[in-house]
Amino acid sequence: MTSSVVVCTWGEGRDGVPSESEEVLTLGRKVSTSLEGDLNWLVLGPLPNRAVEVAGSYGVTNLDRADDPKLADFQPDPWVEALAQYCAQHPTRVVLFGQTFDARLVAPRLAGRLGAGVVMNGVGVDAPDDGRLQITASAYGGDTRVVYELSGVESCVVSVLANAVLPEPRAGEGPEPTLREIQVDLSGVEERIRTIERAQTEGPRLEDAEIIVSGGRGLSAPADYELVEQLAKALGGMAGASRPLVDDGWVDSSRQVGLTGKITRPALYVAAGISGASQHMAGCSAAKTIVAINRDADAAIFRYARYGIVGDCLEILPELIRAAKAR
Amino acid sequence: MRIVICAKEVLDPDAVNNYALAGRLEIGEDGKTLTQTAIPRLINAYDEQAIEAALRLRDAGVECTISVVSAGPDQASLLKHAAALGADEIAVIPVDTATADYHSVAFLLAGYIRSTGGADLVLCGRQASDDDQGVVPALLGESLGMPIVSIARAVEVVEAAGAPAVRVTRVTPDGDELVEASCPVVVTISNELGEPRFPTTAKKIAARRMKPTIVSVDELSLPPEEREPRVTMTRQFVPTVQGNCEFLSGETPGELADRLIENLRRDGVLQ
Repeated sequence: MTSSVVVCTWGEGRDGVPSESEEVLTLGRKVSTSLEGDLNWLVLGPLPNRAVEVAGSYGVTNLDRADDPKLADFQPDPWVEALAQYCAQHPTRVVLFGQTFDARLVAPRLAGRLGAGVVMNGVGVDAPDDGRLQITASAYGGDTRVVYELSGVESCVVSVLANAVLPEPRAGEGPEPTLREIQVDLSGVEERIRTIERAQTEGPRLEDAEIIVSGGRGLSAPADYELVEQLAKALGGMAGASRPLVDDGWVDSSRQVGLTGKITRPALYVAAGISGASQHMAGCSAAKTIVAINRDADAAIFRYARYGIVGDCLEILPELIRAAKAR
Repeated sequence: MRIVICAKEVLDPDAVNNYALAGRLEIGEDGKTLTQTAIPRLINAYDEQAIEAALRLRDAGVECTISVVSAGPDQASLLKHAAALGADEIAVIPVDTATADYHSVAFLLAGYIRSTGGADLVLCGRQASDDDQGVVPALLGESLGMPIVSIARAVEVVEAAGAPAVRVTRVTPDGDELVEASCPVVVTISNELGEPRFPTTAKKIAARRMKPTIVSVDELSLPPEEREPRVTMTRQFVPTVQGNCEFLSGETPGELADRLIENLRRDGVLQ
């Protein structure tokens, strides 16, 4: 049985590699070390700028590149086919994805194609000496963690949650990764989903914001959300919201931070009137500094916060806007 | 056209959340199950929205039969609810959830769809609010050879090249995207679809008379490898969060605000 691990990515990303690749490579190296196998990195489409350098510093054995005209823009059918062909050519024990929007669809489809197990929302993978694989995943929106093991199958596709792993380059020097060109034959696959209108990114994205101010149920009327927007503006950041405000139609869903919304990692996250449910924290717990304003001193949000203000956000927010403008 | 909706029963996620927020969520002696037996079981909210998506198609004039199927031990109340909402047919595949995983459930659902003449449109919730995995629709689509359109806000039935197709508005991180796929197709429904309707009292009463079709695992004659789980839960635990919150004090909201901005500047978080 093979013991290798492959990390699959595509796209360029903002830092010369797709977001989360360094995190997932860190996890991949840990697992491949336990399994005493190779760590491979499969890039679909063009090789990102920093791929070779990052592959070296994270201890990748083979940097595998599969390119084809059908892998120019993301389309699920060619993607799944290319991945399935790669896995058939290079039998792999653990296939890792960073959990992007597109990976959420591709990972389970690949598992279905391969007859492998699949676990989404992964936060860790352990390979104890006895050959088992233990995959830890978030459940109930983050309220619990579940440990899964494989039964009857040897390999598993795991999609790793954003912010679950801290990137950690390998210690010391090691062999340089080997760059391999992977041949895939996509002549028989035509995408079955036709795009009629592409998504249009409108302005800056919450995912990229350095400062975010979010409002939640602690606001009492739709008009109160203006305070959140004003504070965001005064701090030079963007406004977000917890899901109840989106579900009630106060705020557009593009502002929703959380498990089923945006996964953000700002330097500063101000949570106004947000209780701190796991579903929400899944979208902001990677913020470097969290500030919480809540009437309830026992609110869960304070467990994540660096600074807490116990009080009514409708009283605090106007003062914060004033103080932020004055600085 | 035949629309099949796959639905699952889950523990009320709001109740689970309230226990978690209060720090009272506990796992029982088996190391797997939540001990809070008082938490009610409900239809997974995204699956209810999948039923709503089908009903909206019917409201829009699409001639269709709507079947709701669920695999699990006791799905009576879920299926009654589906019938009251307007399902033409309700079906249950009784399985012990302790020995099933989402792989085997996907194969059961695929087996049900195949054995009942197939489907033109399969609607599923984007994920279940208990395990959040969201993999059954993809596994189902792969098993049935259907394309999978994920995370829909709206679904429309259209004609493409003389054959039925769906037009789906997807909620992507870059905004809404409009795509089209020929039937048969699997579509997963997201919360952006909006509030599902409530059944009327008359429909609730009528629904009591609708009997679910009971589909035994054996009559689906699945190959052995499709009947076994591939991924089993061995443990569940409640993660702990190490808090180090500094509560700011001040006489007035103004003082608190000044103190916070001061601290953030001192920490270098704000310029």
